[in-house]
Amino acid sequence: MLAYISRRLIFAVFLVFAVSSSSLILARLAGGDYVTESLGIEAHPETVEQARARYGLDKSIGAQYRDWLGRVVRLDLGRSLLYDRPVSDLIPERAANTAILAFTALLFATLIGLPLGVVAGSRRRGPGGAGGPGGVIPGVIRATSLVLLSMPPLLTSLFLVFVAARTGWMPIAGMRSPGEPSTGLTLDLLQHLIVPAGALALPLAAMFERLQAQAMAEAIGAPFVLATLARGVPRSRVVWRDALKASLRPIAAVYGIVIGTLLSGSFVVEVITAWPGLGRLMLDALRARDVFLVAGCAGAGSIFLALGSLLSDAALALVDPRVAEP
Amino acid sequence: MVATAMGAACGPSRTSTNGNAATNTAPGTGVPRGGNLLVSVRNEPRSFNRLTARETTTDLVSNLTQAKLVRINKVTQEVEPSLAESWTRSEDGRRYALKLRSGVVFSDGQPFTSADVVFTFKAVYDEKTGSSLADSLQANGKRLRVMAIDPLTVEIAFADPFAAGVRLLDNLPILPRHKLEAALEAGKLGEAWNLSTPPSEIVGLGPFVLSAYIPGQRLVFDRNPRYFRKAPDGSALPYLDRLTVEIIPDQSAELLRLEAGQIDMTHSEILPEAYAPLKRAADAGRIKLVDLGVGLDANSLWFNLKPGAFAGDPRAAWLQRDELRQAISLAVDRQLMADTVYLGAAAPVFGPITPANKTWYWAGLPKTPHDTGAAKRKLAAIGLTDRNGDGALEDARNRPAQFTLLTRTGRPDLERGAAVIRDEMKKIGVVVNVVTLEAGALADRFVNTGKYEAVYYSPIATDTDPALNPDFWFSFGSAHLWNMLEKTPATDWERRIDELMAKQIASPDETERKKLFDEVQQVFVEHEPVVYFVAPRVYVAVSSRVTNLTPAISRPQTLWEPDTLAVNK
Repeated sequence: MLAYISRRLIFAVFLVFAVSSSSLILARLAGGDYVTESLGIEAHPETVEQARARYGLDKSIGAQYRDWLGRVVRLDLGRSLLYDRPVSDLIPERAANTAILAFTALLFATLIGLPLGVVAGSRRRGPGGAGGPGGVIPGVIRATSLVLLSMPPLLTSLFLVFVAARTGWMPIAGMRSPGEPSTGLTLDLLQHLIVPAGALALPLAAMFERLQAQAMAEAIGAPFVLATLARGVPRSRVVWRDALKASLRPIAAVYGIVIGTLLSGSFVVEVITAWPGLGRLMLDALRARDVFLVAGCAGAGSIFLALGSLLSDAALALVDPRVAEP
Repeated sequence: MVATAMGAACGPSRTSTNGNAATNTAPGTGVPRGGNLLVSVRNEPRSFNRLTARETTTDLVSNLTQAKLVRINKVTQEVEPSLAESWTRSEDGRRYALKLRSGVVFSDGQPFTSADVVFTFKAVYDEKTGSSLADSLQANGKRLRVMAIDPLTVEIAFADPFAAGVRLLDNLPILPRHKLEAALEAGKLGEAWNLSTPPSEIVGLGPFVLSAYIPGQRLVFDRNPRYFRKAPDGSALPYLDRLTVEIIPDQSAELLRLEAGQIDMTHSEILPEAYAPLKRAADAGRIKLVDLGVGLDANSLWFNLKPGAFAGDPRAAWLQRDELRQAISLAVDRQLMADTVYLGAAAPVFGPITPANKTWYWAGLPKTPHDTGAAKRKLAAIGLTDRNGDGALEDARNRPAQFTLLTRTGRPDLERGAAVIRDEMKKIGVVVNVVTLEAGALADRFVNTGKYEAVYYSPIATDTDPALNPDFWFSFGSAHLWNMLEKTPATDWERRIDELMAKQIASPDETERKKLFDEVQQVFVEHEPVVYFVAPRVYVAVSSRVTNLTPAISRPQTLWEPDTLAVNK
């Protein structure tokens, strides 16, 4: 197991390096640069050239990459051109906000999707569940999930923002209200989480529900479940204890990747709901051609993805010990 | 010396927009005092240092916390005293002596003197700081010379006569020498007042002080109790206790929050498609919608007129010809564009100066009619006719008449406008291939690489006075869109504009300046290097509790005078 984790960690380091490097190079190769964007079209050429020299943007891409690499090995991610602050200060600040949003969305999605998937998948027409899932409730759950799965986060964000605006039940955007404490877990923060976390959680819950329903439907038909039922164990206990554990494998397989994806920042949701997270930071950096911040955000995203993937494997091994066997 | 005596520190008089006097009003004015105004912006500030960052939020921070020697009243478009209470101009028009207000102190209590003015100019022109303001604080491409005569008098000398004079100083926030001199001496002023700076270090002469910055979320400004401007009745300004700037990147969310009463105003104007829902909210009394009239800026199309830009391209024979641009101007139905792109909330315009620019608009500007027949005749004159009866025009060698039009993605008005141009040109047989590019990539094409055929965009003039937009008008200018940074004028008409503008900038006689600039516009419109189509109407929306608002057509429409804004509680 230790060797396995070590191999994955080495791969993660390589992944982070490759993603950051390619992001920096691609951002640099894209048309325009930070200086043109920040000084405007009317800036005098001398001012533009001086600014490029100051930021090191007058060097060749190779030279810029070498300078960046030299700093990165010393764990110096450089200074953001856009915000004139160390990249290593900006990223944790925003990543923390994204983490709050991501874990809340994940919690919502798990608490909604998993039980609904169990309900939908465990209700079968025939004895012991033969014949496939049936009934009105599973049908409604399935239809709702399919609708939510087909709705991109952009649409769910806009819908929830609209509902919030029309009803006044929850804040429309932002992370905290003016005048409220800017740190700590507060009721104000929880209220502000409803819209963005909901926008992320709904399609995710739908995905969890579909995966769980399929897996549960298979588990319900498994011989060991039939045998347990035959011994007179109450159906609800069989479903929620035995079959559930056996059906968690698909969820465990994707869970870590979902965490990684959420932590990388959903910029659509963050922009529409004005959530100050990593996704929004990356989008602003890309627009401004802030190559160092782009590389830092991409690197952070890939770290989360790699960790998420590792977490996924660990969860899978926990749920199904056969995975860890050589 | 020509005396230009100015009045006291009072702002222009106005009546309150809300007749209901709240408690705690400023005596004699009916303007409520206190409260927190909530404003939204779309972008984070890049810095608190206006010398190094020029985007709208940094500019807003500067307007709220700093003050200038003079300011341009955005309603009247005239220069008014600010930190300088009066000034005189020498007979030769090259030197201005500015008398500074006495008794003015920074927000930390340190006195303001002429040394701060000299320091600020030094900081702007410092090479290591690399301020973008240095370019705009030049006259005829030359820097100003600034001298402190005494603690309350400053002399500003221009290398050549410059009629716009002190108007130039509206660009420059006066910085505290006592806080920033050490950074300047160390060559680190460019890094000073970045976003990591504690708010208490941001000291200024403006109506507010920065009290908190929560990255990605908001900036909070509290009233500066030492602010120098007074209300008409002599009481202290600003009226507000607090001004909170919320960072909301998405305009839909911004407008929803405005309708829901969660913010009081947006920093930018309202898009045409948002007008209808906001009108409903205004009719219900939740917000006030203000129509400021036709704007100062129009969307425009220009071609790459750099000599040799199309060398080797068979279309070089007609792509840079005046007749092509004149044909486009004739072929595109401007009213259709106003209706399609702006839902009717726009007016056709025919030159770079719109009627909103009351001082410099030329009433004699010819209005190009919508005439597809005349457009086809113009194109025929440069060899483009329908040679095979298929409805499309070809050149003498039967090559199709087509060109690529670049515009900016993410701007619905530009994308729709380009589509209208494409469709209108198709009617007369010219194929226009519209390509949308992201902002940085688009700017790269026409600023850096010069690899483009035509662009449809919306450049914004920095001031209504043409003397303060020399980079657009002069052929050597860095914003001379169609052919930037010419070493010598590429055409006779550009040479003529250069001559007229040089006289216009130097003439102390305002009537003479207007006459010269009318002629500039006439020459410009004859050759039409840039084709203008429509200028959108400008709408702003504020919550119903905002009062004492003086909205203006120039940006920032509602926040140009933040010290006199008030809210009913």
